[in-house]
Amino acid sequence: MANSKGNKGYVALLGWVLNAIDAVDRMEDRRYVVVAPEWAREYAESNNIPFISWDFERINDRSVELAERLKEEGVDVAIPLFEETVEWAGAINSVLLDNPRLLGQSLLFRDKALMKRRAQLGGIRVGIFEEAHDKSDVIRFLKRVNQALLKLDGDPNDPIHLKAFDKAGCLGHRVIRTPDEVDSIPDEEFPSLMESHLDGWEFAVEAWIHDGKIRFLNISEYVTLGYSVFVPASPELEKWRPRITEEIEKLIDTFDISFGLIHPEYFVTSDGKMYFGEVAYRPPGFKVFELLERAYGFNAYQATVLCFDPHTTEEEITDFFPKEVVDATGHAGCFGVYPRRRVVSELVIPEETEQDPFFEYHELQAPLENKVTKRTAFGTHWGLVYFFGDDPYRMRELLKHQESLDFYV
Amino acid sequence: MSEETGSRQAAAPVDSLERSIESAVQRLERARPFAKPGMAPSVLELARRLLLAPDGIARLYRLAPRLDAAGIFHGSDWQHPETLLAGLVANTFEQGDRQSVTIECISLLRALAVANGEHICPGYSPEQARHFLTQVMAHNLNRVFAGSASEVLRLRQSELTPVVDQLFAFLVEHIGYEDILGKLCDEIWRILGQRPLQVQNVKAMITQIALTLTRSEGLIGDARLGADRLISALFGPTQGCIDDPGLPAYRERLEAMDFNALQQEAGGFARAMHDVGLVSDYHASFLRWLLNVGRQELVADALGLSSTGRDCLQCYSELSYRLITEAIHTETAQAVYGLAMLLERGILYMPAIAPGLWRQIALPLSGQAANTLAVVFGTAHPPGVYLLAAVIAVLGQPLGVGQGNNPTCQSARAISMWAYSDPDYLLQMIAQVARFDSLLMHFEGQAINSGTLAAGLGLSVPIDNDPVSTLLVPHLDRIYHEMGQRCAGRGEDPHCWINPEFHGWWVGREFAIAVDVGSGQLKDYDRFLRHFFASYHPLYNGNQPMIHPQPAGLAMTDSLGRFVGWHAISLMRVALDQAGTMRVYFYNPNNDSGQDWGQEVTVSTQGNGERFGESSLPFPQLASRLYIFHDEPLSVPPLDAVPEPEVAAARELALASWARDRLPG
Repeated sequence: MANSKGNKGYVALLGWVLNAIDAVDRMEDRRYVVVAPEWAREYAESNNIPFISWDFERINDRSVELAERLKEEGVDVAIPLFEETVEWAGAINSVLLDNPRLLGQSLLFRDKALMKRRAQLGGIRVGIFEEAHDKSDVIRFLKRVNQALLKLDGDPNDPIHLKAFDKAGCLGHRVIRTPDEVDSIPDEEFPSLMESHLDGWEFAVEAWIHDGKIRFLNISEYVTLGYSVFVPASPELEKWRPRITEEIEKLIDTFDISFGLIHPEYFVTSDGKMYFGEVAYRPPGFKVFELLERAYGFNAYQATVLCFDPHTTEEEITDFFPKEVVDATGHAGCFGVYPRRRVVSELVIPEETEQDPFFEYHELQAPLENKVTKRTAFGTHWGLVYFFGDDPYRMRELLKHQESLDFYV
Repeated sequence: MSEETGSRQAAAPVDSLERSIESAVQRLERARPFAKPGMAPSVLELARRLLLAPDGIARLYRLAPRLDAAGIFHGSDWQHPETLLAGLVANTFEQGDRQSVTIECISLLRALAVANGEHICPGYSPEQARHFLTQVMAHNLNRVFAGSASEVLRLRQSELTPVVDQLFAFLVEHIGYEDILGKLCDEIWRILGQRPLQVQNVKAMITQIALTLTRSEGLIGDARLGADRLISALFGPTQGCIDDPGLPAYRERLEAMDFNALQQEAGGFARAMHDVGLVSDYHASFLRWLLNVGRQELVADALGLSSTGRDCLQCYSELSYRLITEAIHTETAQAVYGLAMLLERGILYMPAIAPGLWRQIALPLSGQAANTLAVVFGTAHPPGVYLLAAVIAVLGQPLGVGQGNNPTCQSARAISMWAYSDPDYLLQMIAQVARFDSLLMHFEGQAINSGTLAAGLGLSVPIDNDPVSTLLVPHLDRIYHEMGQRCAGRGEDPHCWINPEFHGWWVGREFAIAVDVGSGQLKDYDRFLRHFFASYHPLYNGNQPMIHPQPAGLAMTDSLGRFVGWHAISLMRVALDQAGTMRVYFYNPNNDSGQDWGQEVTVSTQGNGERFGESSLPFPQLASRLYIFHDEPLSVPPLDAVPEPEVAAARELALASWARDRLPG
């Protein structure tokens, strides 16, 4: 089946994402193969999905083996779908594209401390950061940062952020305010990256890059980090677009990125300075791809394939992408639901949400357990609620307001 | 807020809702089949909200063909409309979550679109769609005619309940009333034709029909005729109660009747009961009255007994009258039919039965048994009354026993088999369990006591069974389960050892199985089939009729011939039907024996020589679904005597259905 397709590239998807497989399967002139764990084999085979079984948990030395296998197969490029497959993609692509630099590049994406240093070297503004190897490092950093801010004993501390080196998004992201809170960090979360807190507006960018140039730049506006996001962003944030574009170009230069999709996060502080947070070389979480499809109509997985595929032509790229912001039919947002009570028994969509003209649908499930486990770090939401509408300000308020509603009672 | 502003506000969301649906449907349309199930929930959620919007059903009806084509049903139970079972729809509406209710609504609207020629489903004709919708409405008469008036529905009412009612109104507009009642009556006659012990459901449906007919005078055409007999059998079977006067008024009328009139009453009750299979409350009341006023001579007429039954009643009159006074009340009226059949069977002549029944009449129940019966069957009478009535019914109608909605076909089959072949043993077991909450059986010389075992498959007390099953099944289930445990690791299907020891000495000690237990692949299948023909088919076994019911295992298939699971039945008889076809008559413990097993294998329950409660299939068709049977070990049947075409017919049906992927490679 895969062999009957046209003469464009042959891509390998690293990781099992059904919507991504669906998207690339629908690209008439491209072949693909999914590289995913053995548990997906049966499903893949019964649905004629080209499949190679691979255990990404295993240590990296076997990446050469996988790269050779894909090369033999005729694959042109590997596309990572999860944080965990980014370095595999780097290692594989360094073989497939005969470019050893790609492996080193992928390691930068996977180690948040290295990433920050590299950014700093490239002249990109970052907050104060340090690596923590144990709890005492965290306490010292917290004290030093607050000393530097000239806080006196008894003044409330400015918080610091603690992030696992190699985890995606909010996984393992903690905010620490007092030395007491340090005790709650499990040992297995070390080593990790510590950063000073920046008061400002946090947002994310998805930038599709082909031939070293930005081909589509989306700004995702976080209403509340870990809760809600919408695209395209409000005019207030969009007015930073020229500055943001400059910053992304700097990032492309510094990290020497010539193709693919990057997903960086930034802060804009009240004095108008932009701080780099981190960058990932994979699709963002929180279903931003789905939101983009809702707002613009293009499939972001297909966009990613186009930008990775070395056979993609300039014409294909220009035909594919719409014009940022102006081509959007509205603003698409989603809200991640966390139960607000300690004990819940059923899922009830709040009447006002259900009746809201912006509300589209939700992916929430009835609770399996009555007791809500205490959230550690930023935790994982229980499901997303989707909204769509033409007014970005109303969207922002609506998403913010959802935080005060109970979806589980 | 005034009405007007309210509706204006509601209108705006509908437009945005339709825009949202449009976007979600487009996404679903674009998706590859394997990605559709992941995208369907968002469309269903939007469709649910459309249903709740003004004019939502009509809007969704217009959308239904497109949703179907887009793949909303892909990968779900609703994917193939031609295999949908009308009887399951009501359950989805009552018990389903919002998503299931929504998809069921869309499924019905799809069927309507097909019936109206507005949508084409390959393999699903407009006639099929119309037939399906008619059946669905017959099963949901309460919604069609009275809104969701029943108490059960009221308790479970959700935001979608009114929508589902409106949906039925919408369907009726397009399908019409007459068909529905006719269908429902056919359905009831079909069920009653099997003479089940449990008739609560049927009674409820007939009550629905009666109410409907009174309320909707003029809407209904010829369907009245079939319905009238059902309604009269339940609510006015005789001259004396034809106007359903109520029990006190009826007893007053009886006081005023002369012997001839009473004899007519007796005959009327008996005819209705034997004709329909249902017992009217008036009938139970009449019998009690006869005994109260010393008119015993009319009991035989009132039971509609033949010379056999009359003879039996005369020999055991004291016991019979006592059974009536102890067990037969309006709440247990159906036991009148059981009593008549018990007398007709002549089993009272077996020496242990009459004393066994006397024991049952006087049996003190354990606290637990009494409590269980009271919880399930109510407290209008002492628990022992319900149990005794059920004992009468089970002994009178062994093939009326059903497993209810419980995974306990083995236990139901055993009860039925004992009632049929070994009734005094069954009485013994009932007495043990009802009095001591435990049952002692032996397996390979070792005692198994149900009282000391953990629960088996059935888990809790079944509540949709007759009182005998309610008490007995949990114990049988545990013992059966324990026997299975003791066979673990023997490398052969455990029924090989369990069936003979569990059911009785008459179960053949030779065990034949069509599949290899380890691999699930067919094993020596040709020989298996030939063996079955040679042992059971009168033309090849020396014209030897079956002597006792034999347990057998079937590979159940759905209406597409796809394997569903293994199921326990009893083979009862093999005989020629009136058309000269050799048929296997068997007992199926599930509640509805008339089933479509695909490949035109349709189980018949009446009209092909079946006795009440029997199912039947032509011999090769039954053979094609058989995977386990028992035989006498010493008789070596001449396998070569079976003609190849007979065997081939069975084999081909099997290989194209349940055994499709079981050919040893």
